[in-house]
Amino acid sequence: MSDWGWVALAYAVAYGSLAVYIATLTARLRAARERFEELQ
Amino acid sequence: MPSEIRSRSWPWVAIGVSVAVALSLAIVSPADTVQGELVRIMYVHVPAAWLAYLAFTVTLVGSGGYLVTRRLSWDRVAASSAEIGVYFTGLAIGLGMIWAKPTWGVWWTWDARLTLTAVMFFVYVGYLALRNTADDSRVRAGRSAVLGILGAALIPLVHFSVVWWRTLHQPASLLRPDGPAIEDPLILWALLAGVVAFTVIYVALMVKRIELHQVADSIRDFERSADRPVAGASVTAPQLGGGLGDE
Amino acid sequence: MNAGFRSQVAAVVERDLRRERRRGDVVWVTIPFGAMALFLLPLAIGVDTQLLQRIGPGMYWVVVMLFGVLVSVGRASIETGAQRDAVSLLGLDPAAAYVGRSMSAAGLLLVYEIVVGVVAVVLYNIEVIGFPWLVLTLVITAVGLGLLGSLAASLVSSSSAGSALVPLLVAPLSVPLLLGATQVYEGLRLGRSILPWMLLMVVVMLVTAIVGVGTARPLQET
Repeated sequence: MSDWGWVALAYAVAYGSLAVYIATLTARLRAARERFEELQ
Repeated sequence: MPSEIRSRSWPWVAIGVSVAVALSLAIVSPADTVQGELVRIMYVHVPAAWLAYLAFTVTLVGSGGYLVTRRLSWDRVAASSAEIGVYFTGLAIGLGMIWAKPTWGVWWTWDARLTLTAVMFFVYVGYLALRNTADDSRVRAGRSAVLGILGAALIPLVHFSVVWWRTLHQPASLLRPDGPAIEDPLILWALLAGVVAFTVIYVALMVKRIELHQVADSIRDFERSADRPVAGASVTAPQLGGGLGDE
Repeated sequence: MNAGFRSQVAAVVERDLRRERRRGDVVWVTIPFGAMALFLLPLAIGVDTQLLQRIGPGMYWVVVMLFGVLVSVGRASIETGAQRDAVSLLGLDPAAAYVGRSMSAAGLLLVYEIVVGVVAVVLYNIEVIGFPWLVLTLVITAVGLGLLGSLAASLVSSSSAGSALVPLLVAPLSVPLLLGATQVYEGLRLGRSILPWMLLMVVVMLVTAIVGVGTARPLQET
């Protein structure tokens, strides 16, 4: 793999994993808020 | 509702802006004279490592804050920072491996910094595992806080021991991963932009993660109080008719 | 430490050792498990004498750090929440309880280290050099690991006692002890300075003790 390939891999891992984390966090937050609304 | 959504989305906007700036600088900055294009990996690896250590410090502060004040808000800060810290520590290690393979030909080098980061990762994981074992918020907060303090107290000693150990076994200087020789100012700017972007990401994630803890705690409190009988339930209306012991 | 504190510590140590005599967890489970671990490795990597002699000391200390710490787990799992509440109502100082548990753990760990150490010397043909320093290392690591293990065990609820949570919590924090113990042996073998490593391990002991004693009461009051 060329150097640019490794760089691309690194950035894909960095920002890709970040996107996944943000997505799951948002989903958990939404689910929690909905559950809280139900209980009110 | 719209204003609520708007105020809740400022963290994401902030992330978007700072990441855009960091990415632009990472692309625009020149290749390093020694490392070539691979230096660009440093623009994400170094910030991730910096955040890993920052998050760890915040967990320590939150742990201390809880033990002193007994306010659960400190525990939420500690726990949120620990979860986000696991992510950044794992990312720092992964990016370090991606940098090491083309540079040194191996995925792992056992140098002091990488080894220390790996130890920190395991401490974080243990912290999160411990939190899973307690149901009561206060018990969980107390135990986590003690572990946080213990971890923080011993990590410097772990640092010394690992650094001494590697100094003893230092092979030729070839295998010491150094940072980039910052000759071009753009390289420095790209690095700084990465650090700023990741710090913004950390703050934004903290805001959301703490909020998640708050909502989850409110749910748990609500469910707990719902399980308990209402205070007046112990008083029942007198039974009319029927003889003695007719219940 | 006043007489009350000391006698409480002694009472806890006596209780723990009596428990061990009755149940024999360390003698019949933890020690054999450690010996088994040492036995399995050559089966997996080969029986070349030189290789085994090279890795033997390190393997021994890893087994102590990972499996020896189980000495602290077995005893904490016996204490249910109700038992702990009853004991605290009787006025047992949680700091004294922690010191007592750590000391009995250290004692049991020393026995563990000696027995498993003999197994290691035999199986791996380890050269025993600098005997007084090695003994000192055994004692320091036993105390340090006892303090660490007891503190970790007090954080883990009794329901999780069967899991590897205590070893998981202790392992990363025991790195200075692991490096210190192995480097002392290397130092004795190669004629290098061992004092810095000894000091480092003692500092780990002290820091752990301070954190454990300092947080004992706040932890109980949660």
